[in-house]
Amino acid sequence: MKTLRNIVFIFLCGCALAARAQESVITIKKPAARVIPIAITGFTGEVNAVLKFDLSVLGMETTAPDKADYLISGTANGRLEGRLNQGGTGGAIFARAYSSGSARSQAHAFADDIAKAILETPPIFHSRIAFCRKEGGSTEVWVADFDGNGPMQMSRDASLVATPSWAPGGRKLFYTSWQNGSTQILEHDVATGARKVFAGYGGASFNPVVSPDGSKVAMILSKSGSPNLYTCDINGGNLSQLTRGRDEASSPTWSPDGREICCVVRSGHATLRKISVNGGESRELRAGGPTIYGNLTSPDWSPDGKKIIFTCGSGTFNICLVPAEGGDAESLVAGEDPCWAPNSRTVIFTRRVNHNRVLSLLDVPTKHVENVGQLSGSCSQPAWAR
Amino acid sequence: MKTARLLSVFFAGAALILGSAGCQHRPVATTQIPDREAATPKSPPPTADNTITSGGTGLPEKPPVIPGELIAENTNGPWAGVIANNNEDREKFKADTVYFDFDSATIKKNENQKLEEVANFFKNNTEDALRVEGNCDERGTEKYNLSLGERRALAVREYLANLGVDSRRVVTVTYGAAKPVDPGHNESAWKKNRRGELILLTPKR
Repeated sequence: MKTLRNIVFIFLCGCALAARAQESVITIKKPAARVIPIAITGFTGEVNAVLKFDLSVLGMETTAPDKADYLISGTANGRLEGRLNQGGTGGAIFARAYSSGSARSQAHAFADDIAKAILETPPIFHSRIAFCRKEGGSTEVWVADFDGNGPMQMSRDASLVATPSWAPGGRKLFYTSWQNGSTQILEHDVATGARKVFAGYGGASFNPVVSPDGSKVAMILSKSGSPNLYTCDINGGNLSQLTRGRDEASSPTWSPDGREICCVVRSGHATLRKISVNGGESRELRAGGPTIYGNLTSPDWSPDGKKIIFTCGSGTFNICLVPAEGGDAESLVAGEDPCWAPNSRTVIFTRRVNHNRVLSLLDVPTKHVENVGQLSGSCSQPAWAR
Repeated sequence: MKTARLLSVFFAGAALILGSAGCQHRPVATTQIPDREAATPKSPPPTADNTITSGGTGLPEKPPVIPGELIAENTNGPWAGVIANNNEDREKFKADTVYFDFDSATIKKNENQKLEEVANFFKNNTEDALRVEGNCDERGTEKYNLSLGERRALAVREYLANLGVDSRRVVTVTYGAAKPVDPGHNESAWKKNRRGELILLTPKR
């Protein structure tokens, strides 16, 4: 009897242990949102290509009309007439004509309206990006449409540049330049080409980021003896040191309300921290999870304030997402240096492909990736004008 | 006898400890990089190009850079001149390039001797200055590497300060991972790229 009781006891303990072990290894992986099947008919050439690309950037996939959730149709001959209908029933959602601007611009406008109707997202398809492009041993700053159309060279210094960043409104660019031998932050008027040195303190001055309301600039300066986070007014005054000490800071990003900055601090290894623009102690932004590894770097705060996208890894890199208040983070796709579009849904980032750099567009909910195929050469460090 | 021996050892030890405490070398935590005061620039600033052009077409060949209010002028101190205007010698301290471990800005013990040689040179050559260029391998994001490269250059500057080289003679530049000496994609290349290069700056005569 005693032996049996012991056996039963051991058996029950074993079950309990197995049950507990089972609980602790459950990993909940968030499934990607469903790709939306659409059909595009009636358009040809450039308009067709633009519609297809724009909507695929938002995680929509073209398919045959009988399999599509939505039917996009119309004509374009100088003036675009477009219709969005439900798949299946064919019920009308909207019909609109677009007559101003180029055929490309009309297609972008139609795509923005489709995105608004189906996904309720704000428009992004007329927006622009800035990035660094390798030219032999130098790098230069370029701007282009978000899809890479119409690239224009901004700097011509035959030197190095890095970290381009837009002032809100898309008329001014700030970037790091080595054109005078050490790092300085330049302010560059995109329309006129006029430039000035915005910050060139003793030591290094790099990684400028303009606040969402345009009133301040965050940057990294090493004048204190270590690379630290500073802010100043958009006119250069009121320089304020936010991080102190030996742990080096990098890649600041502003909260949409301009009250906080999230940046990277390397203390041993690199983690994300948040600090008030009024100074004080920084606090860690918890961003852990089973798919997060290595250094956490290059954060960007979404315009709607809800999420922070960043890079994890050392050697190989992943684009990762965490709620803005911190919490469980998840890896989305391979890549680095993400930057949000104004819709807080699309992200432009860099991929290393055969050791070249390629700009790509990520749809965060579906994890669908499209390359910015119109750009040639090695392009990196993209910034989306917001 | 035994007690006397013990006592003498004790006093000898105490003397040593007290003696060394008096000569204690206090390491410099970080070395401030002095603010540069506004000073008359050596050459007149380039004239502003006020041509209004639509974005892209008609941009001037080399967009002018107009010194803004925050521009760093020459570093304060006796070496301001040579820092602003110098002959560069990249060969002098080539053998003293300092190498770093992955993701680290710590000066390793086996790099000490190089920096002692450099410090000795500067003791004997009082007019010269130094530029330290910090570099990284490609296994970090570019923004991260800019900071790490600067931290490496500053680590060398701090170490030299401990050896008596006035920090006002040493300027730092970071290149992130933009200037590899070896374009390879393996550890043999990466370890050559994780470096602080020392460039001698001598006054132009």
